[in-house]
Amino acid sequence: MNAAEKPVIVADSLIGQRIQKKDAPEKAAGKTRYIQDMVVPGMLHAKILRSARVHARILSIDTSAAKALPGVHVVITAADVPDQQPIGVARDHLPLKGERVRSLRDEIAAVAADSEEIAEAALRLIRVEYEDLPIVAGPEDAIKPGAPLIHPAPLDAEGRPKTLPPKTPVAFAGKADNVAMRFDYTHGDLAAAEAESDVVVEDTFQLHYVTHCCMGVSGVIAEFDASGNLLMYSNTQVPFLHKREFAEYLDIDPARVRIIQPPIGGGFGSKLDIYPFEVICIFLARAAKRPVKMVFTREEEFLASPTRQPVLLTLRSGCRKDGTLTFRQVHTLHDNGAYTSWGATTPFVMMQTFSSLYRVPACDYHTTVVYTNNPYAGSFRGYGNLQATFAIEQHMDMLAEKIGMDPLDFRLKNAQDAGEVTGQGMTFKSCGFKECLTTAAERSDYRRKHADNIANRNARGPVKRGIGIASMLHVGGGAKIYPSDGCGTILKLDDFANVTLITGASEIGQGSETVLSQLVCEELGLPISAVTVVNNDTAITPWDVGVHASRTTFIAGNSAIGAARMAKAKILAAAARKHDCDEASLDLRGGFVVKADSGEAVVELARLMRSLHFSDKAELVMTTFYYEPPSVHQDKGFKGDVSAAYAWATQVVEVEVDTDTGIVKMTKVTGTHDVGRVLNRLGLEGQIEGGVVMGQGYALTENLIVENGVTRNPNFRDYKLVTAPEIPEMDISFVESMDGEGPRGAKGVGEAPSICIAAAAANAIYNATGVRIFGLPFTPEAVYRALRGVTSKPHWQAWKPE
Amino acid sequence: MSLKHDIEFALNGVRKRVAVDVTMTALDMLRDVVGLTGTKYGCGEGECGACTIRVDGQTVNACLMFAVACDGHDIVTIEGLAADPKADALREAFVEHGAVQCGFCTPGMVVQAAHILETNPNADAATIKRGLEGNLCRCTGYKKIVDAVESACCGGR
Amino acid sequence: MTTIERYAAPKSLDEALGILQQGEVTILAGGTDLMPQTRAGRIAFKPTLMNIRDVAGLSGVVLDGDALRIGALTTITEVLDDPLVKEFVPVLAEACDHFASDQIRNAGTIGGNINNASPAGDTLVPLIVLDAEVELASKPNGSVTTRCMPLAEYFTGPGRTRRAAGELLTAVRIPLPKPGHVARFYKFGTRPALDISTISIGIAGVMRDGALSDTRVAFGAVAPTPVRAKQTEAALEGRRLDQSTIEAAANAARDEVNPIDDVRATAWYRKELIHNMTKRMLDHVAQA
Repeated sequence: MNAAEKPVIVADSLIGQRIQKKDAPEKAAGKTRYIQDMVVPGMLHAKILRSARVHARILSIDTSAAKALPGVHVVITAADVPDQQPIGVARDHLPLKGERVRSLRDEIAAVAADSEEIAEAALRLIRVEYEDLPIVAGPEDAIKPGAPLIHPAPLDAEGRPKTLPPKTPVAFAGKADNVAMRFDYTHGDLAAAEAESDVVVEDTFQLHYVTHCCMGVSGVIAEFDASGNLLMYSNTQVPFLHKREFAEYLDIDPARVRIIQPPIGGGFGSKLDIYPFEVICIFLARAAKRPVKMVFTREEEFLASPTRQPVLLTLRSGCRKDGTLTFRQVHTLHDNGAYTSWGATTPFVMMQTFSSLYRVPACDYHTTVVYTNNPYAGSFRGYGNLQATFAIEQHMDMLAEKIGMDPLDFRLKNAQDAGEVTGQGMTFKSCGFKECLTTAAERSDYRRKHADNIANRNARGPVKRGIGIASMLHVGGGAKIYPSDGCGTILKLDDFANVTLITGASEIGQGSETVLSQLVCEELGLPISAVTVVNNDTAITPWDVGVHASRTTFIAGNSAIGAARMAKAKILAAAARKHDCDEASLDLRGGFVVKADSGEAVVELARLMRSLHFSDKAELVMTTFYYEPPSVHQDKGFKGDVSAAYAWATQVVEVEVDTDTGIVKMTKVTGTHDVGRVLNRLGLEGQIEGGVVMGQGYALTENLIVENGVTRNPNFRDYKLVTAPEIPEMDISFVESMDGEGPRGAKGVGEAPSICIAAAAANAIYNATGVRIFGLPFTPEAVYRALRGVTSKPHWQAWKPE
Repeated sequence: MSLKHDIEFALNGVRKRVAVDVTMTALDMLRDVVGLTGTKYGCGEGECGACTIRVDGQTVNACLMFAVACDGHDIVTIEGLAADPKADALREAFVEHGAVQCGFCTPGMVVQAAHILETNPNADAATIKRGLEGNLCRCTGYKKIVDAVESACCGGR
Repeated sequence: MTTIERYAAPKSLDEALGILQQGEVTILAGGTDLMPQTRAGRIAFKPTLMNIRDVAGLSGVVLDGDALRIGALTTITEVLDDPLVKEFVPVLAEACDHFASDQIRNAGTIGGNINNASPAGDTLVPLIVLDAEVELASKPNGSVTTRCMPLAEYFTGPGRTRRAAGELLTAVRIPLPKPGHVARFYKFGTRPALDISTISIGIAGVMRDGALSDTRVAFGAVAPTPVRAKQTEAALEGRRLDQSTIEAAANAARDEVNPIDDVRATAWYRKELIHNMTKRMLDHVAQA
C-alpha cells in the first residue's frame, strides 16, 4: 500500500478544549423531558397537607370529607402507615406526622387523585385540630435551660418516659435536650499558641438562611409492578444510596427498588437526602396500586425543601507581629431546624477550613447543632465552607490591619504549599494556593486599588469603591464520608466503533456526561460524538456514591479512564494480532489504530471493530472498571486525609457602596482557581461563573426570612436571586497544578466558586467604607444600618460544651 | 366543575381548538391540555420567565396569562421556535457558548432571547441583560447566556 | 373555589359597559396581577369574568387637545416605546423602564396598573406628579357617559379605588407640561426593574429662576396608596432650590411619610430612603 492509503494521523488532544455539552441541543430546543414533564399512563396526582402551625400537638385529623370527594383515590395519614420508618441523617423524622408537628412544613396527610386540582380540593376538606405548643424560634433559645423540647421522649399511660429498646431512633425515643449533634476538633496547644500571640481578635458572625432555588421544583413518580417491585422516577443526586434506604422504609429487598433519574432541573446539593414527599409518594402508590406523581409548587419548594445551614459563629484568631498565624478557636451554634439532614454535618467541612486553609499551629473547633421549630437545613453547594470562609477571611484582613501588614502578604506568609500535612491530617499533594493568590491579585490590581480605596474613603460623593480578597480550600478528589467513595464504569464499543459509556455518575446539569465522554475519547482517539452515555438507571448503571463533594469529574473521571484504558488495551491487542505487529507500537488516534511513533494509520477503528464483531469468533470490546480513591475515612477526632486531592481558589471582589441607600453593587470578580488541569474549558468556565453568581446571591440578595418559625418570603418576588443585569464582570483564570491522582491531572471544582464571594465582599465593603459587617446578607438596609452605626454587632456568648 | 370555554388560536402556525377552564393559565393549557412541555413552570408568578411564550409577536409569561385570552391570537412556544430555521442560529449559539447547564430555564431564555433580537437586532450586552431580566437561571451565572445572545445578534448582522 | 358563571370577551366598549352594568364582574385585561392574586386567594372571582383585552379603541397614545390620552389597554411596553410619551412625559417612560420585566411589560396594561391600586404601582407616582386624570365610562341608562377624576384622588386603599362597579377605566389623561417643566422619578431597588419598589419618589414642577412652582411630589410604598406629599411640596414651592431648601424639603418628606415594616424594609429605613433620595433628586434638578 502507498502513503495515500495510509494517512498519518495527528493526535488532537481534547483536553483543555471548549467542548459543547452533549445534552445542550435537546435542552435548547425544549425537547428534554424533566420529571415535571413526564406522564406515566394511569398515573395519579398527589398533594401533601402541611401543618398550619409551627409547633403543636395534633389532636385529631378528619379525612372523611376528602376521601368522599369524587376523583380521590387515596388519602393517607400517619395512622394509615403504622410501619413508617424515620428518615434523615439522625433518624429523627417520620414522613407523616401523627402526634406532633414541629415546623410549618410538616406533612400531616396526603392525597392521590385523578388530577392536581382534585387533590388540592381534597386537602381543603381535611380537618386538623391542633393544640399549640411554645415555639423555639432560634438556636439561642433552644439551648437555654428549660427550653421546650422539640423531640421529647414519649410518655407511657402513667406519664413516665416509656422504656424502649436501646438504639431506638430519635423519632420514637425522643431526646432529653435540643442538641442534635456535637462536633469537637482540636490540634496543637491552644493555650501556648495564644500566649505566643501578639494580636488576638474575636468576633461573632451570623450566617443566614438561603435555599437552593432549583429552577425545576421537586418531583417524584413512584409505581409498583404486579410483583411489588418499586420503580421510582426521581431527581436524587445519590440513587444508589437511596435505593437501599427506600427498601428499608418499605421493608423490602433493595434488589426490588429501581431508580430512574430523568434530567434534573438543578441540584446544588438539594437532592442528597431523602425527604418526606418521596416516601409519602411511595406510600400513596402502594395504597392506590397506581403510579403516583407528586410535584411541588414554587411556594412549597421554598417552604419544604432544605436550606443552607444558618450559623452563629464566634471566632478567635491570633498572630505574631511578624505575620505568623498562631491559633484559631471556633465555637458555632447551628440551627438544625426541626429535623436533622445533611446540613447538621457541615462542621466536617467547616473545620477543614479553620484547621487547614492556612498553616495554623493550634486549632480548636466546637459545634453544637440544635433543634428549633424552623425549616431544616440540608446540604448546599459549599457545605458549610461559605460560612467558615466568611469568618476566617474577614479575620485575615483584620489581623493584617492590626499588625500593619499588607493583607496579601499576610496571606502569602501563611498559605499552604504542596507537600504540607495539616494538623487535621490533610495531605496536599498538589497545591496552587500561592499562585492563586498572586495571580488573582495581579489580574485585579488588588494592591493598588486596595490602597487607593482607603485613600478615597472620605472623598466627596455617596458612592465608595472597595476591593476585597478571600481564598478557599475544598475537597477536590472526593470525600470519604462513606466507607466507599468510588464509582464504577461499564464501557462497550459497538461494531461501528461507537462507545456506550455506562457510568454510575449522574448528570445534574453540571456537564458530567460531557467531561466523562471527553476523557474516554481522549484515551480511544475518538470524537465526542462517538459516545452515548447511560447514567440514569440503577438497574443498568454500576455503583456510585452520588453527585456531591465536587467528586464526579475526579472519581467518575478516573473510573471512566480506567475502563477506557482497558478497552484500548483489548483493541490494540486485537489489532496487533490481525495486523501482525507489536501492540506496544500501536496507539489510537483520530478514529484509527496507528503506529505510535509515526502516526501512520494501520486500520480504521470502525473497520477493526466490525471485523471483531462480524465473525464466527466474535471478540467484543466490553470493559468494566471501578475506581476507589486513595483517601481515608476520618478517625473519631476528625483527622485523616479525607480527599484524594484538594482544590484551591482566590477570588477578588470589587464593589461600589452607595452610602445614601446601602446598595452594594458587585462590579467585578477576579477568580483564580487551582483546578489541577483544565479538561473542558467551556464547562469549567460555566461552573465557575455560575458559582460566582450564586455566591453573589448569598452575599447580597438572597435571604430566606424566617420569623418565629414562619418563612415570610416563599417566592421569587421577595427571595431575590441575582438576575442578568446584576452580574459582575468576571475574570476567571486557572492554575494547573497537575494533580498526580486526578484524571489527566484535574481536580473537582463544582462547589469551589461560590465559597469565597461573601467573604471577599465583606472585605471589599470594609475597604470602601471602613465599616466591617459581621452578618449576612449585605442587603441595602443591613448595609445602611451598619454604615449609620444603628445595627448591633452579632453577639453570641460562645457556649462551651461541658 | 368550573366553567369551560371553547377557544381557537394559532399554535406554532397550526390552528388549534380546545376547551379550557376559564381560570386555567395558558401554561397549564399548553402543558396539560395540548401536551407541549417545552414551556416550563418555574414559579407561577411571572418572576422567573421559564414559561415565556410569544403572543402576537410579544413575549409574555404563560403562567400569568389566562388560557381563554389565547382565543383568536397567535401563540408561539419553544417547540415552534425549535422548528423555525430563523431561530437555528440562536439555539446553536446557546449550545456553542455553553449557555445551557441544567437546561430548565433554557426554553424560556431562548424564546425571550429571540424576542430581544427581533426587537433590537443590534442589541449590546447591556441591552441583552435588561431584556433577560425576567428570566432566572440558577446554574450559569448568565454570562454565557448573554454571550450566546450577543453572538447570535452579531451573527445576524 | 371558583364561582364563575359567565365568561365574556366583548369586542366593543358599548358591549363591555353593558356587561358591567348587569352585575358582579371581574375585569381581566393583561392578567399579570389578576392571575397571581386570584391563585393566591387574595382576590375572589365574581360571577362574570370579562376579558376586555380585545375591546377595540382602548389602546394607544394620542394627543387630545392639551392632553396626552393613553388608552387603558395600552401595554407598559407600548407606553415605554411611544414617541409622544418620550417627547412630552419622558418621566413616564422612565418609570415604565423600571417596571417588572419585558414579559410583564408586554402583557400588563397601564389601566391594569392603575386599577390594581398597589401602593407600590410603578406608573402611579409619575402619573400623579404629572397631574394625570383617569377617564371612567359607564352605561347606566343605556347610553355611555364618562367622567374624569384626578388620579391623586382615585385610590382609597390597597387594591381599592373610587371606580364604581359599573364603570370601566378607559384612559388616563396627562395635561401637556408647561414650558420649563421638569419631572423626576426614582424607584428604589437593587435590580433595574424586576423589584417591588421599597419606596418610589416622583417630583415635578416648573423650574423658573432657580425655583420650582406648581410643585408636585408623590411617594409610593410609604402608605396604603401612592400619596401626594403636600408638606414637601410646600417646602419647595416658589423657593430658590438651594441647599437649605433641599434639606428642608427632604426633612419634610421624611417627616410626612408614615410607612410600615414589611419583609422588604423597615419603616425607619423607608423614611431614611425618602429623605436621602428626595435630596439626591432635588440636587440633580438644581444642577440640571
